[in-house]
Amino acid sequence: MRRTVLVLLLLLGFALAQSDTLKVGFIYVGPVGDAGWTFAHDLARQKTIEALPNVETIFVESVPEPEVEPFIDQLVAEGAQVIFATSFGYGDGVLSAAERYPDVIFGHASGVERAPNVMTYMADFYQVYYLNGLIAGALSESNKLGYVAAFPIPEVKRHINAFALGAKEVNPEAEVEVVWIFSWFDPAGAKEATEALIDKGADVFAFTEDTPTVIQTAAEQGFPSFSHYASMLEFSPDTVASGQLVNWETIYIDFLQGVIDGTYTSENLEDLDYFWLLQDEAVEAAAAPGVVINPVHEEALRAAIIDHPEFGEISVYDLVFERLAQMEVAEPTFDPFTGPLSDRKGNRVYAEGEQATLAELLSLQWAAENVVGPWEGEP
Amino acid sequence: MSLLERLGYRLEQRPVPPGRVVFLVTVGAIVAALIVTGIIFSLFGVNPFYAYATIAERTLFNFRGFTEVVRKSIPLLLAGVGLVLAFRAQFWNIGAEGQILAGAVAATGLALFVPLPVWLMIPGMFLAGFLAGGLWGLVPAYLKVRLGVNEIITTLMLNYVALYIVRWLINGPWKGASATGFSYSDKFDRAIWLPTVGTTRLHWPTLLLGLVLALFVALLLSRMQLGFEIRMMGQSPEAARYAGVNFLRTTLILVLFSAGAAGLAGVGEVAGIHHRLIEPNSISLGYGYTAIIVALLARGSPLAAILSALFMGLVFASGDIMKVALRLPFQITGVINGLILMFVICAEPFLRYRLVRLSAEHRRGLNGRGVESAD
Repeated sequence: MRRTVLVLLLLLGFALAQSDTLKVGFIYVGPVGDAGWTFAHDLARQKTIEALPNVETIFVESVPEPEVEPFIDQLVAEGAQVIFATSFGYGDGVLSAAERYPDVIFGHASGVERAPNVMTYMADFYQVYYLNGLIAGALSESNKLGYVAAFPIPEVKRHINAFALGAKEVNPEAEVEVVWIFSWFDPAGAKEATEALIDKGADVFAFTEDTPTVIQTAAEQGFPSFSHYASMLEFSPDTVASGQLVNWETIYIDFLQGVIDGTYTSENLEDLDYFWLLQDEAVEAAAAPGVVINPVHEEALRAAIIDHPEFGEISVYDLVFERLAQMEVAEPTFDPFTGPLSDRKGNRVYAEGEQATLAELLSLQWAAENVVGPWEGEP
Repeated sequence: MSLLERLGYRLEQRPVPPGRVVFLVTVGAIVAALIVTGIIFSLFGVNPFYAYATIAERTLFNFRGFTEVVRKSIPLLLAGVGLVLAFRAQFWNIGAEGQILAGAVAATGLALFVPLPVWLMIPGMFLAGFLAGGLWGLVPAYLKVRLGVNEIITTLMLNYVALYIVRWLINGPWKGASATGFSYSDKFDRAIWLPTVGTTRLHWPTLLLGLVLALFVALLLSRMQLGFEIRMMGQSPEAARYAGVNFLRTTLILVLFSAGAAGLAGVGEVAGIHHRLIEPNSISLGYGYTAIIVALLARGSPLAAILSALFMGLVFASGDIMKVALRLPFQITGVINGLILMFVICAEPFLRYRLVRLSAEHRRGLNGRGVESAD
């Protein structure tokens, strides 16, 4: 009896494999309910199914990074033709599995190494963190901004620097104090770090951690903070000033459409790296979709008038939208990482008018002048 | 008078449970666990028979799946055998996690910075890892014997020291040139990766070491003078003292082996799987702590640790399959893994006690006069 069931299921499996559906597996590093990174990927997965009716998905949550390979084996056994591995630490496992399954297509989020059947993709926030920095610099009264950071890797350092550069543009006194928690998902650690930053006098908070913990902890003191990856406005409607939101589905849909129409195959992905930004609509500067600046903070930001070298006398509120407009267009006319820029040790990083290249952004190590705190691997 | 006695039974301690009883009780516990988890499967809309068939098919009857079960059990076996040895001497080593990391660090140091000939590299890494792990255990061992410092605390705390040392290394001096700013060391040269079975991740030299070590510790405990001393220290420290056992020497040797075994597990993880030093929590997914369960389930027998390590490997691998093939939420797979372990551990009293039917006379006495006869 059981054998019959198994045989029937196998036949069903073959029947499905024969049809036109594209089976796509998603491997998540956190739980889908984390309200951050994994939640955003899973939301995108659902939007992708809506947009591409022939796509069928399977997802696995909370897969430890070094254990990704057996999960890839499982997904392939389930018939997955495309597999998205959504954490940097999956890299080694994805590359070795890709060698073993040359016909399966892999996407590695925030990855750096590719192969004929492995593409990399990232929806990056550095422009958005810069915009958040403008807001944070204007809202701070102590001139101390707190940043709860995950790991000292280029992606996080890039975001901290962008945030610090924005803050400095509107408030030359503003400093960003960083605490590292060495985890992407650690509510307890994030709470402790936020409290430590509050003790040091920080009164506006940004972070790289996959839960709304920093927002909630800061809100106990009424301090402003920013949504990270997904809308966290509902966790504290009065203190989430803006934030970094992602629309991973723009990348998933674009790529899977390419797989369906044959543009992308398991042989031509070696040079395919989606590094999508504001102009690609992969990311959004907002507290919740469409809410660029929380109305609660509008008055304070309109009242913060600065003398800006490019725009003259302007409120920070307007400056945010001016900068957003410059970066949203297909060919952005502004980039936060444009010289003159120096690191905090006094070395000139970019000369007047010089702009960071993508490769430099991806391997960024230096700390901006107004960043305070430990910084492993500082050049 | 207890209910049992009213029914004409009483509990009696069983000195050494015979193998047959151990087998039956363990199987009974697993069957009970399967029934309860089966109910959970049903509640989530998964037919339990289909669930068990799928799990068995993908772990036991699938080559790749089976190699994954065995691979997951390798660090548990090495660290677990080491803990069995330590626990027999009543040395409560909770520090296998740190000892694993110490072994991983030593192997990485050798692999990346010492120009040894390739043929010497693999034995060299294992030796270095064994010594480093052992050294990590010797500190608490010395403190315990000489100053009476509680080893549970010291071994546990040294886990954190090891964790932060690894973190410092991969973010600082050993950060890879090829890592473009990310936190891990350079990759080992492909020539010194541990060989694996085919394209699987089963690094068999480490497995072989684990099996040999289990045999060796079994022999040590049953046949050698040192093993006798270790057992005596564990069962009756006073007697051991009278018999002239040198506590310092014996403890240091046994902990060197116990912690060294965990060090070997660390070597296997970096040289066999990751091929570089990475985040400490990724090198060891709590293997050092799970090994404590492995050692407890093995009930002091190093050979039984082979079975209990495989059992834990199977439990973990089944959890993976529940997530993907059965689409169960990951929290539920955690609950199920926990339940299975709980059933097996709760079966322990059944091994130590047995139900005995009171003698007919005794029962009559109870029923007739309501007082116990003084037989």
